[in-house]
Amino acid sequence: MPSEDLVYLPLSELAKRIESKKLSPVELTRRFLDRSEKLGPRFNAYARLTPDLALQQAEVAEKEIQHGHYRGPLHGIPYAAKDLLSVKGLPTTWGAKPYANQVFDYDATVISHLNRVGAVLIGKAAMIELAGGMGYRFASASLQGPTRNPWNTDRWTCGSSSGSAAIVAAGLAAFAIGTETWGSIICPSAYCGVSGLRPTYGRVSRFGTMALAPSMDKIGPLARSAEDCARVFAAIAGHDPKDRSTLPIDKAAFTYSPSTELKSRALNVGWLTNAWTSMEPGVAKAVHTSENVIRKYSPHMKEATLPVGPWEDAANIIVAVECAASFRPLLRSGRVSELTDPLGRIAGYLNEQFSAADYLQALKVREILQKKIDNLFDSFDVLIAAAQPIAATRLELNLETDAVFPDPLGAIGNLCGLPAVAVPCGFTESNLPVGLQFLARAGGDLAVIQGARTYQQHTEWHRKHPKVA
Amino acid sequence: MSISRRDFARRTVIASAAASLVPANIFITADAAPLFQAQQPPDLAKLSPTSQAELESRMQTILGQYGGRLSEEQKADLRRLCLAAESSLGRLRAYAVENADGISLYFKPVIDREKKLSIVPDLSPHSPNNP
Repeated sequence: MPSEDLVYLPLSELAKRIESKKLSPVELTRRFLDRSEKLGPRFNAYARLTPDLALQQAEVAEKEIQHGHYRGPLHGIPYAAKDLLSVKGLPTTWGAKPYANQVFDYDATVISHLNRVGAVLIGKAAMIELAGGMGYRFASASLQGPTRNPWNTDRWTCGSSSGSAAIVAAGLAAFAIGTETWGSIICPSAYCGVSGLRPTYGRVSRFGTMALAPSMDKIGPLARSAEDCARVFAAIAGHDPKDRSTLPIDKAAFTYSPSTELKSRALNVGWLTNAWTSMEPGVAKAVHTSENVIRKYSPHMKEATLPVGPWEDAANIIVAVECAASFRPLLRSGRVSELTDPLGRIAGYLNEQFSAADYLQALKVREILQKKIDNLFDSFDVLIAAAQPIAATRLELNLETDAVFPDPLGAIGNLCGLPAVAVPCGFTESNLPVGLQFLARAGGDLAVIQGARTYQQHTEWHRKHPKVA
Repeated sequence: MSISRRDFARRTVIASAAASLVPANIFITADAAPLFQAQQPPDLAKLSPTSQAELESRMQTILGQYGGRLSEEQKADLRRLCLAAESSLGRLRAYAVENADGISLYFKPVIDREKKLSIVPDLSPHSPNNP
């Protein structure tokens, strides 16, 4: 099989070949490493490759499988982790110069989980500095420089899980781990034409992961399909005593097999009519086509509307205040001036000034919103809308002034900790990917996976990949 | 209501909510950047006197704490961010909440007290800790 085809195989197929010993984890790892060394710099996709660790893990996996100890669908599968997940003994830079030499002596819980199932870490993915916590104006706001979109290297990947999305899109690893506080999995997935899962808040432990806005930070996979995301999610979800925000054992754990979906009833699907005020024509066309596809297999789909309110303002102040607290030493020391982006160097000074009364007002608004959204999901299992109203922007664009649109869907989804999956649903006239987003109530991770997987069973967009070799 | 959007990150600067006056029909079809018109800065004159005073106070606090580190350009930038923040805060504060409304601030008591008990000094009759 040509190298290009192998690196774009879904997890289920890679796992089947590895389990049956038709594919060597060491060979697969070497192939991804070679490709990453060759193509990674073209996209600024990696903070660093970890070839020694990867080959060591792959050799262990290979020996275990040869001796009949197969750990499951991620055993021997190479992946990348956003460079805000600590890996014992390796630099974890948070994408920012002030932390360029930071090394932790422990693994993040997500890394430990992936170690336990035998996955192979081939590198740390590039990211926007501090996951964008201090704000940024340009795609270049990263220690690694701007991550370039594999579909068009003059375009951005979106952030802050920029490297994670580029790595998956370019076939540099089988999957990648990203994080989202507000948009950082969904947007890069949409821009790069990959599938991304933002889990329910509290299902994946953040222990060992950079804190930005602790009441909104979430960790999730980016991969080739919703099903692939589900398999990774099953490995990383679960209660963790080290992260007390994780849900109880019975609510946090996730098990997945396609047969789980078969036992589920058909989903009540809603099409959101007010998620975006307007869409770029090429995006609107692809999304409209998708709507028609979904109506064919889900004829009872109804229109749905998001409640109206100051959700973005509430989310803004929560993120601003929590981020200022998370990075107070950076602000107070003045080292924030070492950040790359001009906005990132100053915005924290403002974010530090908001009053506790305003923060608590935002939390009250959040509670009201949670009830409204829970009521909405009494009528729907899954809500669907465009993942983003535009396609990948040019690298040099000023994001603060020249890419402006309302995002109540992102604000609501992240304020309420709702699960969402973004999947590719077409291309613009410029051959840039367009994404579709599936949203469910808190805890409804299986519903968004099932909704997205059903869509992918009726379409082929997730099998498209850029010609990068 | 509308905000700057690319990733939540810019929104962490509450000032990015300044985009609230951007019209919905700003999308253009050409493939040339920018995809959107440049946003208009918020209008100071539209703020109430109270909000204007709050803006000035906030700006002075920042300058008092950090002014020595900031260039004139950065100070001007921060003033613009403060202005935008006032617009966003105005919308947030105007949303009606009741005194009895719940607050999504969850305090989770430590329930594994058993572990803590193990480090409580042993005060049994035979313990040297027992005076």
